[in-house]
Amino acid sequence: MSGLQRWIGLPVAAVVLVVGVVGVQLVNGGGTYEPLKPADPCVERTVTSRAAGIDALTERLVLLGVNNAACTLGVSREALTLELAQSGGQSSGQSGARSDARIDALRQGLLTAVDQMKADGSLPRASDLVDEALDSADLNGLLERAIRALPDSLIDSALKTDDVLQRAIDDLDLRELLGNVDDQDDLQQQVEVAVTQAVKDSLAARLRDLLP
Amino acid sequence: MRRAVSPLLLVTVALVLADSAVVTLALPDILLHLDASVGQVAWVLIAYNLVLGLGAVPAAMLFARTQPRVFTATGIALFAGASAWCAVADSIEILILARCLQAIGGALALIGCLEQLVAERGERRGVASWVAAGVLGTALGPVAGGLLTQAISWQAIFVVQVPFAVLAVPAALAVRTEPQRVPDRHRPALRANVTLALMSAALTAALFLLVLLLVQGWGRSPATAAITVSVVPVAALAARPLARLLRPPPGVEIAVGCFLVAGGLVGLAIPPSSHLAWTIAPQALVGLGLGLTVDQLTSQAMRMRLPRARHAGWTIGARHLGVVVGLAILTPVFTADLRDAQQPAEQAITALVLDSPLTPESKIAVAQGLGDVLADQRGEVPDLHRAFATLDVDPGEAAAVARLERDLNEQVERAATLAFRDSFLIGAGLAFLALLTLIPIRRRRTP
Repeated sequence: MSGLQRWIGLPVAAVVLVVGVVGVQLVNGGGTYEPLKPADPCVERTVTSRAAGIDALTERLVLLGVNNAACTLGVSREALTLELAQSGGQSSGQSGARSDARIDALRQGLLTAVDQMKADGSLPRASDLVDEALDSADLNGLLERAIRALPDSLIDSALKTDDVLQRAIDDLDLRELLGNVDDQDDLQQQVEVAVTQAVKDSLAARLRDLLP
Repeated sequence: MRRAVSPLLLVTVALVLADSAVVTLALPDILLHLDASVGQVAWVLIAYNLVLGLGAVPAAMLFARTQPRVFTATGIALFAGASAWCAVADSIEILILARCLQAIGGALALIGCLEQLVAERGERRGVASWVAAGVLGTALGPVAGGLLTQAISWQAIFVVQVPFAVLAVPAALAVRTEPQRVPDRHRPALRANVTLALMSAALTAALFLLVLLLVQGWGRSPATAAITVSVVPVAALAARPLARLLRPPPGVEIAVGCFLVAGGLVGLAIPPSSHLAWTIAPQALVGLGLGLTVDQLTSQAMRMRLPRARHAGWTIGARHLGVVVGLAILTPVFTADLRDAQQPAEQAITALVLDSPLTPESKIAVAQGLGDVLADQRGEVPDLHRAFATLDVDPGEAAAVARLERDLNEQVERAATLAFRDSFLIGAGLAFLALLTLIPIRRRRTP
């Protein structure tokens, strides 16, 4: 083996090995093996649900609402979700997950979500939800049977889903609602009260519109 | 007995140097068993290397004033006793204290074994076998520690060392040598020792970080991690035949070794996935680099320098203080990066749960389980399986839940890999720095 070969043999072999190994790693995606990056909340997102009826409506409404709120606040949907979920027992104030700005953004996000669902035709008619709502409502038997007997067209003309939802969202104490995230029963009760009140208000407003 | 003397002394040298990194794979178990923090557990490694690094030169100075066989036997006995104490330690403070004693015994044993081996096998073979045993011990330490932790317990790492060391005590006493009062003729080989220190710091990055990534980041068992990192010692063994084949000058061999370690660490910083196969080739580069550098540098630092024990002390000091410097630089970097990786990982997990094809009830149940696990992670990579183990979902959703768990684990692995990237790259930087120390500096001649 010549002197030159002794000087350059091993270095050349080493350069070939290192370039080969690092090159193969990079070609196969090395350097980009990182956690999923959150999507831009201001880009329109398709939201689907595996549930049906009121559960599906609620899920889609919440997912779109949080997304809209995140867009307004300039944070990712995931960051806002984590903030809201992790602020379980925190007191309200001007800063933190449940600051007035965040609560307002969330409420506005939910209201915008109702408009989005109405626009894309995915908002169910009130008559589609009545049976399910009555199953879980604590009404006297006679009244429940009477409502079930109403024709769908009458229910749909008397109650607009978007109007009921918007009234319920306006009525809801979102700060208290977020405090009850861990307690499903409290959460459901709070939503039920708000929806029932919204139905009453919507019907009253409809009647007022009918009066001369 | 006579025939067993050299092998027993060599095993002792390998054990003392293996102890430098032997507990790396056992750290998670020690953390849990002794209810320690990550910072405290790191001291199980740091304390040993620090005391060994600082104690080597004073041990060599003491050696010149004592009876060699008594000195060596005392060191080995102290090492054995402290190893046994490590095994029965019931608190992290006691374990760290026992590790310090183990390192003092180790420093005495390493210096003593070198002189005993030279007395037994002659200058050239004695030093060469002492250096080779050290390289083998350093490379095999994490593998042996991982296998013992998985098969038995972390305490087994220390228990198995005791009988070997106990047998080596009479072996050391059997070598009759007289104390040699050699005047302090040569200065320490500064360049070789600095390069050795930097390479030790870089190799710490390779071995220490890789096993942590495999066990903590990618959730592999200590045994799997041990088998995986065995690529390093195997490749280190292949370095000698390669060097014999190409016969490079020693300086070129060391420079190439530094470059290979740096390249291997860059490869480890950018795996395309958490598949173990992606670590094999980078580890092989690190192993080849280890085999080409450490024994050459150690030999260079000791060659033709007297007193031999003193210069051996300097190489041990450089090596282990290099390990400490590596740990001191890398530990805060990767713990901070691990903490920083928590947010993107949590956001990725949240996105997958929100968009998963599950009913709202199942999503809430999964989210609550994950919330508990993430709140309990104590700065470590979370074990998401705990959130799914007790999950009660509709059988029709079982496949989707299993897919979600797999996807979430992948996100955790991605976040952990990202968290280790900078530390591996810093390790590569240390190896490049070692390469720079080899550039000859010409002194300007005055006319």
